[in-house]
Amino acid sequence: MQWQFSNDAPIYTQLIQQVKVGIVTGAFPPGERLPSVRDMATEAGVNPNTMQRALAELERDGLVYSQRTAGRFVTEDNTMINTAKRSLAERHVKTFLEAMLRLGFRKDEIIDLISKEFGEEEADHASA
Amino acid sequence: MPVLECKGLTKRFGRTAALDEVSLTVEPGRIVGLLGPNGSGKTTLIKLANGLLTPDGGYIAVCGTAPGRESHSLVSYLPERTAIPTWMTARQLLDFYGDFYQDFRREAAEEMLDHLGIQPRQAVKQMSKGTREKVQLIMVMSRAAKLYLLDEPIGGVDPATRDYILSTIIGNYNPDAAVVISTHLIADVEKVLDEVIFISQGRVALQSTVDGIREEKGMSVDALFREVFKC
Amino acid sequence: MLRKLLKHEFRATGRIMLPMYLILLVTAVGSNLAGRGMLDGRYHILNILGVLIITAFGIAICGALLMSFVLMIQRFYKNLLQDEGYLMFTLPASVHQHIWSKLIVSSVWFIVTVLAIIAASLVVAYQGGFLRELLDFLRYFLEGLRKLEVSEAFNGTIYLAEFAVLMFLSLVAFSLQFYAALAAGHSQANHKLLWSVVWFFGIQFALQFAGSLLIIGSNELDVFNRLFSHWDPSPTVAIHVGLLMAIGCVIIYGAIFYAITTFFLKKHLNLE
Repeated sequence: MQWQFSNDAPIYTQLIQQVKVGIVTGAFPPGERLPSVRDMATEAGVNPNTMQRALAELERDGLVYSQRTAGRFVTEDNTMINTAKRSLAERHVKTFLEAMLRLGFRKDEIIDLISKEFGEEEADHASA
Repeated sequence: MPVLECKGLTKRFGRTAALDEVSLTVEPGRIVGLLGPNGSGKTTLIKLANGLLTPDGGYIAVCGTAPGRESHSLVSYLPERTAIPTWMTARQLLDFYGDFYQDFRREAAEEMLDHLGIQPRQAVKQMSKGTREKVQLIMVMSRAAKLYLLDEPIGGVDPATRDYILSTIIGNYNPDAAVVISTHLIADVEKVLDEVIFISQGRVALQSTVDGIREEKGMSVDALFREVFKC
Repeated sequence: MLRKLLKHEFRATGRIMLPMYLILLVTAVGSNLAGRGMLDGRYHILNILGVLIITAFGIAICGALLMSFVLMIQRFYKNLLQDEGYLMFTLPASVHQHIWSKLIVSSVWFIVTVLAIIAASLVVAYQGGFLRELLDFLRYFLEGLRKLEVSEAFNGTIYLAEFAVLMFLSLVAFSLQFYAALAAGHSQANHKLLWSVVWFFGIQFALQFAGSLLIIGSNELDVFNRLFSHWDPSPTVAIHVGLLMAIGCVIIYGAIFYAITTFFLKKHLNLE
């Protein structure tokens, strides 16, 4: 798992995002036990209290749950994981669109660009 | 009960005040950055908390008592300089810490030394500067203290050593204890900290949480520091 | 805590002093052998070798004495006032314990060095029948002492004890002069060693001055004559009184240095 942080947002919100990405991409598979707060904090190079706060937030959202003695686990509920995946995707699309609109592209031009990009990719695959 | 508390703390060297009416508290379970430019009074504050200097005014308490013999058994201190005797071997150093500190976790220290590939018979003299600093930090972090006072733990070391030092600090975190890290290299420690105290010309300029600053100002502590201490 | 400080202080100094004693012993044995025929001039090379070994023994004696002196100062300076001071003064130990651990250990090394030199000299002088002569001498000495004890109510054991105490306290006071000067000098921000030298001579001068005043004062008031006009002790008692007075003086002298040392280490510690 790669941990990367930007300078403009609180660290705990960035941690929430990155653990979510980990869950959606399978770095933290459904039903698996998460490493301890201290280990996760050491790996991410962040303050253990901040990691604790991020995990507590994820727990409130239902993406992880804790068992009193055994520790924290990733949810086994696939619909919930898919919802998270979808909301992450929507967020990416939103930032992308904002950037494109700022550059002065119109809706149809954007769609055109995207389909061209996909077309080239398919051509690449075909030739390979 | 706060693990470190100062009220109106003042220390003068000659006519200049190195610390001027400093008041602050550090609660258990926190990792606090003591941030300020060189010569702002960080080291003076840490020395006062260790009883290596006597205050000229105000009050300082560590775990509820004035710095002294009793507080020394509760505080684990990493000085700015390498203070471990160079003639000692790694094993003699372990004996030394084990003899003087009841809270010394010898096994934890041995494991960390082993991880660095340091032989018990190796003398401190034979180690590189970076290794000496790592060994000293291992000794300091192997104590189950109530307060860790780390004076410039990442100054003057390479980035890999810096990462090692920071992960050692996080890896030995204990919710009952507080860690105070003094440094001017903020970008490197920012993510590790709960709170920051900006200290400028012997006075506290700001005390806040890292995420509080990021939330309110929309900028990193490092960026804020550059703004506050702009030359 | 003092016990632990002593343990580590012996560890730190023993690694230097014990090899010194070993050199002393080896050169002493060598000198003894050299004295048995190497020097009779039959072989030129053996002759030179013999002289060299005996010279080495002489150097070893000076070296051991010098090293116990250097260590006394160096341990206080390097372990407490240099970088290692950051470690030592944050141990759960008091300033008093630190000073006493240094004092006791350096005094012990002084005494052991003197004993080692005596032992080494005996090794050099050893030859057939030597041990018997030595034991005979000791027996005569003790017998003589016992006769004196019977006839003059002379208590040799107490004299020896008083003398030993006086020697030990003198060593302690001797070391404390240097500790006080170093502790005071290092409370300065800069030129710490220079200030230490200034303090050393400053304190010596002040004490000489105070001592002279005391002697002049007691002369003026005629203290001694008044004292001895009412009191006429026997010679054996007079020696006791003399020794005890010497002990008292050394204690006062040492206490002044001790107070200076603790004052500066407690209130004006200023590590670089």
